[in-house]
Amino acid sequence: MATSRRTLDRLHIERAVWTMDARLQDLPRRSRIARRRELRDNLRAAAEDVGGRQAVRQLGDLRVLAAGYLTAEYGELSRRPSWAAAALALLLVDAVMTVLEHVARTAFDAGITATAPRISGTFHWTGVPYLISDETFTYLNGTYTSVGGAWTPLVYVLMFAGAFVGGRMWRLISARLRQRRQTRLAVTEEKSGSRA
Amino acid sequence: MAPTHDPQLLKGVLSLLLLRLLAERESYGYEVVQRLHALGLSDISEGSVYPALARLEREGRVEARLVASRSGPARKYYRPTAAGVQALAEGTASWLSLAAVVHPVLVRRLPDPPTSPEDT
Repeated sequence: MATSRRTLDRLHIERAVWTMDARLQDLPRRSRIARRRELRDNLRAAAEDVGGRQAVRQLGDLRVLAAGYLTAEYGELSRRPSWAAAALALLLVDAVMTVLEHVARTAFDAGITATAPRISGTFHWTGVPYLISDETFTYLNGTYTSVGGAWTPLVYVLMFAGAFVGGRMWRLISARLRQRRQTRLAVTEEKSGSRA
Repeated sequence: MAPTHDPQLLKGVLSLLLLRLLAERESYGYEVVQRLHALGLSDISEGSVYPALARLEREGRVEARLVASRSGPARKYYRPTAAGVQALAEGTASWLSLAAVVHPVLVRRLPDPPTSPEDT
């Protein structure tokens, strides 16, 4: 019974901790992990007093708590980097390129098979300038296999440049400088019974 | 039933209270909350204390150290830095001088309301 209650408490706590972690995606990784661990520890301490469910309830609105942590990290009105925007930029470039590649290859295939649906032979597609390298299509009775057609390095440059600009990653530099200024934590052993 | 306090007033003095409590004795997050509750500030939630501690740490007013705990992983204990002690002294002086002005005004007896002719 006590074990099941403890398990339930842990589940309540972990749910709150990971919900908070998701809301703190814009924090630098090290800081986010530190906040997560500290919150978990505080919730466990509170759970010993009032139970897991109540401990989580006492936190109040997790959105407010997350906003408080973000403000503590970046300041009241400072501009923050956005990992979500960076990821969105990566996905956007990826999606655009995937669609472009699919449409171009489908068009090339349609052009070949329009004249002779059951065609056999080898055909060369020059790709998309600067974005998609050339590709060789080998047809056998109207169906093809292909070699090549990779994205050029420029695509990856665009992808990461988009993530850097979209996510405003240069703002991480000031956060990193702040972190370096912070005192490093020293792990010390607590003598048993030394705390009142 | 504990009296409720104005959240805006509490927010203004929370950092000062935290510095004071940590100057008296280093504590970890939940312990600070318990100490605040023991003072009668039961309406201060963990959700406002933890970010306030994080802000004080970022500002360099408190420093933290991990202390091994018997009941689980190491706990993060906070204590004021030299800058924090100075901020506490300045904040305390500022609060006391403000209270010295505000308190007498607020506890003054209000004048009796004027009686209208209909009352007589």
